[in-house]
Amino acid sequence: MRLFEYEAKQLFKENDIPVTEGILCTSPAEVRNAVNDLDGRGVLKVQILSGGRGKAGGIKVVESPDEAEDVAEDLFEAKIKGYPVEKILVDPVLNIRREYYLGVTIDRAKYKIVVIGSQTGGVDIEEFAKKNPKKVFKESFEIDEDMYSFEAYGIGLQMKFRKDKLKKLASIILGLHRAFKRYDCKLAEINPLVETEEGDLIAADARMSVYSDALFRQPELMEMDVEKRHEEGEMTPREKEARENGIPYLDLDGNIGMFPGGAGFGIMGNDFINYYGGKPANFMDSGGGPSPEKLAKMLELLDENPNVKAIFGARFGGISHCDDFAKGVIKFLKDHGLSKPMVMRMTGNNWEEGVRLFDEAKKESPELFERIEAHGIETPIEDIARRAVEMAKEAE
Amino acid sequence: MAILVDKESRILVQGMTGSAGQFHTKRMIEYGTNIVAGTSPGKGGELVEGIPVYDTVEFAIDSEGVDTSVIFLPARFVKEAAIEAIWAGIKMVLVIPEHIPIFDMMHIRKEAKRYGATVIGGNTPGIISPGQANLGIMPEIAFKRGKIGTVSRSGSITYYIADTLTRTGYGETTCVGLGGDPVLGSTFDDVLMMFEEDDETEAVVMCGEIGGVYEEMARETISRMKKPVICMIGGVFAPQGKRMGHAGAIIEGSMGTAKSKLKVLEDAGAKPARTFMEIPRILESLGIDPVEQVS
Repeated sequence: MRLFEYEAKQLFKENDIPVTEGILCTSPAEVRNAVNDLDGRGVLKVQILSGGRGKAGGIKVVESPDEAEDVAEDLFEAKIKGYPVEKILVDPVLNIRREYYLGVTIDRAKYKIVVIGSQTGGVDIEEFAKKNPKKVFKESFEIDEDMYSFEAYGIGLQMKFRKDKLKKLASIILGLHRAFKRYDCKLAEINPLVETEEGDLIAADARMSVYSDALFRQPELMEMDVEKRHEEGEMTPREKEARENGIPYLDLDGNIGMFPGGAGFGIMGNDFINYYGGKPANFMDSGGGPSPEKLAKMLELLDENPNVKAIFGARFGGISHCDDFAKGVIKFLKDHGLSKPMVMRMTGNNWEEGVRLFDEAKKESPELFERIEAHGIETPIEDIARRAVEMAKEAE
Repeated sequence: MAILVDKESRILVQGMTGSAGQFHTKRMIEYGTNIVAGTSPGKGGELVEGIPVYDTVEFAIDSEGVDTSVIFLPARFVKEAAIEAIWAGIKMVLVIPEHIPIFDMMHIRKEAKRYGATVIGGNTPGIISPGQANLGIMPEIAFKRGKIGTVSRSGSITYYIADTLTRTGYGETTCVGLGGDPVLGSTFDDVLMMFEEDDETEAVVMCGEIGGVYEEMARETISRMKKPVICMIGGVFAPQGKRMGHAGAIIEGSMGTAKSKLKVLEDAGAKPARTFMEIPRILESLGIDPVEQVS
């Protein structure tokens, strides 16, 4: 989960990293006052959870309070990279001599923490590293070891830092490494780290992403309410509705409603439908052990989506048992009713009980099942996918 | 033979007295899995399904001679439990829960390497050596003892691959779920090498998905293996930059796309399958016959 720049800066500051002392604003009038307080000049930076703000027009330098208010009015009404702008951080204008890059992340292949430094900052570091591998330095660290000052000096020397700045830089590197570990980060990044004409080193931007799985031991992050944040991009209304019900869901642009079991087959099932000439309308994952209520909600999302012409259902009961799956489907049929044709396959743990529940419900109200073609382990899942593609074509 | 677990394994369930622990202990025993002990601090002396519970792993080892552990505990307790097992001398630790903090998993991996132990998971459905031991939460209906090894990141995919191999008469030696989390205790190359050395396994099916680097890391191992490897990668049609379910499955730039992974694996000598039903066809073309004829 990504933090806003102003939040990351606050946490960096607590770890002895000098950051620009900006003012957070929520209205053009506040922006005007902020620029006034900063001696009439300022950098207006929209606070959104996405990179590339500058290129998208979300960072503006202003030379007067009047200009600040005008620019802020436009920014608050704009969408930057698809995000509405709710907050603007007004930073002082720095006299930049040079820009550097510092980042800390995890090397998943080596199971180590990696500190990355570059003589050139303010750039897309991945792109820059590809073109200039010799100008980007990486140093690996064990997860259970602290970083020593001499190791930070080593990185500074590789970055060809002037000796009189070496101690200042080392303290920033140590602080960034410490913050990274302290908050269970996925990424902690200063881009750019600015060397000013006055000789100071200061974080002009701050980026931090944290792992949601560790939030339970991060009271400071919990206070920032980061758990409610979406990773990147803006959600469609259906994605929002799904998320409110705890269902990982994405809208795609096809017409086959995907009602799979786990995430693994959610991803693979999407491929199968494409191989057979169809297009899924969504990606969905029930997570481990969904309740019948959640399963019913998943089907409701698909049935009410006008783009969906047919539904592909698959359940291989592992931690989520087939009887719970059957209960969810039956609940949906009784409470809501199915308006689209659906083909499904159910097998795995407790499949006998799942089949029994279906048979019982069907005996009671056969009309509810009219649109469902149900299969068990005898039918390969590929045949089910193919049938879903056929059904969608017939319905178009 | 099989890899990682078989009928000789002496298995400990960490977190045996919890609801998931009790439920799955019963299931595993019903399958014939050799569960010999459980742990639950403060509950030593109790019995679950007739199996003795101990306060610590060390006591369990001293009394029952344990060599394998399966963890059924909430994610936040997994680091302690896994390291307790590794330090006590257990060589095979299976981590079932999901959402384990990444840093914790890195710690666990480091201790495992230090003590020569294997950790599988987290967020895994488990490991099954059909007819011998079922460790975790996998549905037995999909599996039958045979000659193909499988290793996959996802639970549901493990079931579908085994289901296909069982239906077409090939059966499985061992099926390993690596887990869906972004940082895992073991990777494809760790497990592939075990299959290479297993007498009964004639070929291996590996299935990965978009995101991360674990599939690419298997390149060298595959090119050194004598046994054929069939590979599948989920997410060929996944939208770029969007998160599909697994925390591990995020495309980062061009790295970690299904196409780039397939290319790397094919170059190393693996045979790609697009669907599950292509797996038996590829096995046939390699001259590998089913264990039994299926009508």
